[in-house]
Formats: sequence, C-alpha cells, structure tokens
Amino acid sequence: MTRRSKTPLAWKNLTHDWRRLAAALAGISFAVLLMFTQVGFQNALFDSQVKVIDDLQGDIFLVSKAKYTLAAEKRFSISRIHQAQSCSGVQGAYPLYSELTTSVLREMDRGIGTRGFPLRTLGFYLDDPIFQSEEIKTKLHRLRAPGTALIDAKSKKKKFNFPMQDEAKLAQYSLELANKNLTLVGTFNLGTDFAHDGNLVMNAENFAKYFPHRKRFGDPLSVVDIGIVHVQKDFSTGEVIEILKKTLDDDVFVLSRENFRAAEIEFWDKSTPIGTIFLAGKLIGFVVGMVICYQVIYSDIAEHMSEFATLKAMGYKTSFFIQLIVVEALLLSVIGFIPGTIFSRLLYEWLAGQTGLLMLMTVPGIVFVFAMTVTMCVASGLLAVRKLLAADPASLF
Amino acid sequence: MPSLTTIPATSGAFVGDLQLPKTVKVQNLNYFFGEGELRKQALFNNNLEVRRGEIVIMTGPSGSGKTTLLTLIGTLRTTQDGSLKVLGNELQGCDRDLIVRVRRQLGFIFQAHNLFESLTAYQNVNMAAELAGLDPMIAEGRIKSLLTRLGLGERIHYKPKSLSGGQKQRVAIARGLVHKPKLILADEPTAALDEKSGREVVTLFQELARDEGCTIIMVTHDNRILDVADRIINMVDGQIKSDVAVQEASVICDFLKEIPLFDHQTPNTLAKIADQMMVQEAESGDTIIRQGDPGDLFYLIRNGTVEVRVHDGKQERTVAELKEGQYFGEAALITEEPRNATVVAKGKAIFYALEKKDFREVLERSASFEEELRQALFGRQ
Repeated sequence: MTRRSKTPLAWKNLTHDWRRLAAALAGISFAVLLMFTQVGFQNALFDSQVKVIDDLQGDIFLVSKAKYTLAAEKRFSISRIHQAQSCSGVQGAYPLYSELTTSVLREMDRGIGTRGFPLRTLGFYLDDPIFQSEEIKTKLHRLRAPGTALIDAKSKKKKFNFPMQDEAKLAQYSLELANKNLTLVGTFNLGTDFAHDGNLVMNAENFAKYFPHRKRFGDPLSVVDIGIVHVQKDFSTGEVIEILKKTLDDDVFVLSRENFRAAEIEFWDKSTPIGTIFLAGKLIGFVVGMVICYQVIYSDIAEHMSEFATLKAMGYKTSFFIQLIVVEALLLSVIGFIPGTIFSRLLYEWLAGQTGLLMLMTVPGIVFVFAMTVTMCVASGLLAVRKLLAADPASLF
Repeated sequence: MPSLTTIPATSGAFVGDLQLPKTVKVQNLNYFFGEGELRKQALFNNNLEVRRGEIVIMTGPSGSGKTTLLTLIGTLRTTQDGSLKVLGNELQGCDRDLIVRVRRQLGFIFQAHNLFESLTAYQNVNMAAELAGLDPMIAEGRIKSLLTRLGLGERIHYKPKSLSGGQKQRVAIARGLVHKPKLILADEPTAALDEKSGREVVTLFQELARDEGCTIIMVTHDNRILDVADRIINMVDGQIKSDVAVQEASVICDFLKEIPLFDHQTPNTLAKIADQMMVQEAESGDTIIRQGDPGDLFYLIRNGTVEVRVHDGKQERTVAELKEGQYFGEAALITEEPRNATVVAKGKAIFYALEKKDFREVLERSASFEEELRQALFGRQ
C-alpha cells in the first residue's frame, strides 16, 4: 500500500534552497533553449523550404521526375501543361518558370558592376492565377513593362541591401540581372531558404529575355519548372490526380499540395545531412539538460542521505522514494520549461528578424521539446535515485 | 531430575507471569562484518529476551557490538546466523515486506536528528504520522501535544534552521514517538539535551512503557537516566556480559541478604552472586536433589514450595517445607559430603541455582571481607 504523501516533500526539498533552485532552472532553461533552437531552425528550414509552395495557388503540381528538390533545375516540356489542360476535371494548368544559378543580381555603381549574388527568379504569365499573395496581385500591372521585376523584401540584407520600404527609391536603383538591366518596380514577401537568398518575380516574356539559354535550342519558355493545376469545382483532387497520371507522359510527377510539400521536406530531412545535424543538436541539448538535472537531483539526494535513510528506517518503501524523485524531476522539468520557452520565443523573434527564416513556435514543436524536457528530467532522476536507494539506515546509529 | 538452564537468574525471565509476551527474542545470534579474508565477527552467540513494556538500557565500550545488536533488532541490518524475533516476527531470512511492516511498528531515535531542513518541525513529525496512516485530525492533535510536551509548543512551525541542537533532537524524538510504536530504539537520545529536557524525555518513555506497553531499548552513557531502566545490558567484545533485570536483581539480593551465610557480604558481592545464579524450573513432584547424591548446586527458591524429606534407613519422612525466598542444598557444598536430604517440588516451582565452585568462592571471599574493604578504599583514589 503506497499512501500519497500529504507533506509535499519533493516540492519543499526543491524550493528550500532558492539559490540552487535558480541555478537548476537556469540550467534546464538553457537545455530547453538549446532544443528549441534546434527544433526552430529545423522547422524554419523546412517551412522556408516549402514557403514558395504554400504561396502558390493550385491544387495539383507537376514536376519533372528528375527534380529531387525545388532548387534542382530539372524541367519538363510545356507539352505536359497542354496535355493537362485537356484532361477532364482540370480547370486550368499553368507553367511556372524558375531560375537560380544564372540569375545573378548585381548593383551597378556608376556603370561598373559590384559583386553579384544569385537569387531565384520566378517567371509566370501575368494572367495565370499563380500566386496567392494579394501583394503580388495588386502589383501585377507594374510587371508588364520590359525589364521589370518585384523583389522579395525578405531577401538577405547582406547580399541584397536595397531600400525595401521605399518603392520609389527602389525603382531608382541601377541593377543588372544576368547582365541585363533590371528595374525593381516593387516588393513582395516570400522569404529566404537554405538554397535561395532572395527572390524575384517577373513576367514570363521578361523571364525569357533574361534567361534565353534555359533550353539549348529553342524557346526558353518551352521548358517548365513547376506545373500548376487547378481542379474544377465538382471534381476531387484525388480523382484528377489519377486522370493526370494516366494521361501525362511518364516524365513528370503528379503531386497533391501535401505530397509536394512532404516530398520537399523529406529531401531536406533525409537526403541532406541537415536532419542528422539537427538531431545531433537536439540530442546535445537533451544530454546537457540531463547532466544538469542529474547534478541537481543527485546533490539534493547526497545532501539528505541521512534523512532519507531515516525515512527508510521508519518504513518508507522504495516506491515512495522513486515517486518522490520522479515528482521532483517533473516539477523541475515543468518549472524549467516555462522560462526556457519564454527565452526561446524571444530568441526566435530575434533570429527571424536577423535571418529572414520562418522561426515559428508551433504546437508540435512545443510538445516535442516539453516531452524531451520531461524525459530528460525523469531519466536523470531515475539515474540519481540509485544513490538514494543505496542509503543505508544501519549507518545512522 | 530437571536440569539447569543457561538462563541467568537476574534476567528476570521467570518472574510472575511466565508467558509475558516478548518484544524481542534473540537466540544464538552471531553477526559478521566483511567478506572472505576480511570477515570479522562482531557478535558472538548472543541471547536476549526483552519483554513488553520494559525499558532496557544497553551499555558497553564502543566497538562492543551494542549498536550492531540495536540495528539488527531494528531490522536495519540483515540477520546472518541465529534467530531474532521482533514483535513476534522471525527476522532470520524474512522478506522485504515483513521488514517494512516491522519497521512501521518501530520508533527510531538516532543520535543525529536527521530532520529535513526544508520541512517545519510539524511537517517532519508528520512524515512519520502519515506513514502510519493516522487520521490527519488525530495526527495533528498528537503532533501538537507531543511537541508541546517536549517544550516546543511555540516552535511547532519553525524550520530546523531556527531551532537549537537540543530542540532539533526533541523534534526527532517526537517523530520517533508520534505513531505510537510498539518498540522504540534509541541511540543516546538524551546526549544533546540539558538535564531538564532529558528528564522530560525519559519520563515520556516511562509513560509510554507503562500506559501503552511500549518497549524501549536505548544505548546510552548518560548515567542521569539509569534510574528508569528495567533492565541493564552490558556488552563487551560482541557478547552480552550481563543482562540484569534491575528489579529482579534487587529481589535476589534481598533474599540473599537474609541468608546467614551471606549476611556480611557487601551489596556489590551480593549482586555478583545474583549474576552467577542460573534458573532451574521444576514441575510438581520433581526431585530437585536426592539424599546420598554428591552436592553440586546451591538453591534459592524463587517461586513455589518444596518438601524436604529425610530417609533414616527405614522410612522417608518429611521434615520441612520451604517456600519462596528460602534456600537449600548448602550443607553438602560446605561439608563436601553427599546430600543429607531429598527435596521434592510441591507444584510448579522455580529455583535460582548457584554452582558449587561459585558458592565456595563466595565463602572464601567472605573470609577476606577485610581485604575487599581495603580494595574498595583503594579503588576510591
């Protein structure tokens, strides 16, 4: 029979010495911060990576089977788009063009180019419903002129340090994209990711002029990076995907929005060392927290060995002591988690401002870090409890 | 003929109600520390019985094994060899659950107070009350009255940091007593206390022993509290050298004093004689000594009556009847002749017997009474 102790011994022991408690909380908060940072960066990477997908309209996406990630410049023929347009259930199919390696933007200083940096240029027909962003929609008319583009206001400041807030000033900038003059006629918001330091959007005709060599021979617009398919109202996406798969040649993937997103995230998680690096980072946070937590609980036990031995002599069972330490560990994890989360939140905001990455504290992220915190505290408590169980009441006399 | 037991007369084991429950019963208990080459025996073949409601004081030099014995009784060490019964439970080879059950009926008072610094006096005591499953209302009343009784009424909700050493020790005592243990094991409980609070603590012990039948075993060198002891155990080199029920020892001495043979012995010598006597039991009709046998023992009747019969060659006749406090068997020991009478128990009887060599030693010693006086005076220096 284990009676639940009414004297809150775990709480009292924990809070008795406020200096040690503060040190413990600082340590656990630090571990929480470490883990949150890793989770945040990882999510930011993944979310940023697929931000462009989230910003596109459309229900079904077509990509070349050779395109293993958005940044891979593998294209498919425009004829797939035409094929898709003729399929039943398809309201419309539109091409989206993308260029990265040759899309180098440089600022001109009195006729002499400064060092340029590559960024992603997205080209599309202005009449096609491509972007969800209202910002782009309202500025579409500005893109009709030759040599114009909108620039992503979140592009990396270090490389693209333009007056993003002031569009009039921006238009005065003398720039070259792929060695041809470019006028920035406004901004939009997309955000950077690990492969792209900035973004431009422009009209497809302009796009063809800037990047005429996309296809060695022939029309540069005849090779498409992403095909965007809108489904008719009375058709389900699943149905249309099946139809497209049957109809289209075998060189493209037909993906739903979710699958497209998931495939991109999976590439970064599994096919690059990034997933492993972040896992290692999280583990380091976990281990640091565990060591700190073990130290706190162990020293609490070590300092009270004779008191615990007395409780043993009185007839308290092993289960009582394990429960006591587990409660202590849980309390530590909860009260260490709160300040850790607050600090992490602040850090996220700062990092988001600095890097343009999407640092979001998501519910799954919070749940994950909290679970890790509880696990690390309880595990270290259970490691330390062996010391307590070794308390020998015979040594008291 | 009933044989002589190895139970000392002064142990008081056979006084009054023979079936008084034993709180602690130790039989042939050995204990070893260490393993293999380093194995060292700490307790040697100890026997001890402690009855319900007795206050036992254990003394002896450090390293004599008294603490080891106390921890064995307290279930804090595992018995190795021999039998140890505490509150009716055999601890030899018992399981953890039994140990926990026994521990909850014990009250420990350690030399160090071992209070949680994070808990108040009240909460520290409550740790024991909660374990015993006391109703919180009753527990509260008991804790408060105990602490008040021990002079801590004003400091019930103080933390140990704000208490003096003696006050902390008293909190620890309250913790050891709050759950009404059946057996209290205490190690120098009064060492940290001044005379007045030390006295209060032992008075509390006496009340618990008297009113609740609580048995108390304490190791102490505090001779201010010797007077509360019902039994004093002295240990030397891992063995109980003497185990004296104080009251029984004084009864025996009173009996011995009345015997003309011993009337000029000092109380000290009488106590020594008492120590050397062994218990012998007899059923109705048992022959204790037979006329014509060689004499080997001197008998003192503790309980019951006996008939003395003399066979004068033709027939046996009863010449006397002896009862409690009287003695027989001395003549054969003094004269070195065979027994001159037969003694038969009338009903159940208990005798305290003294062996011939010890008896003769006393007689020889009485001749050197003056010598002993000289020794005593010399020892005062």
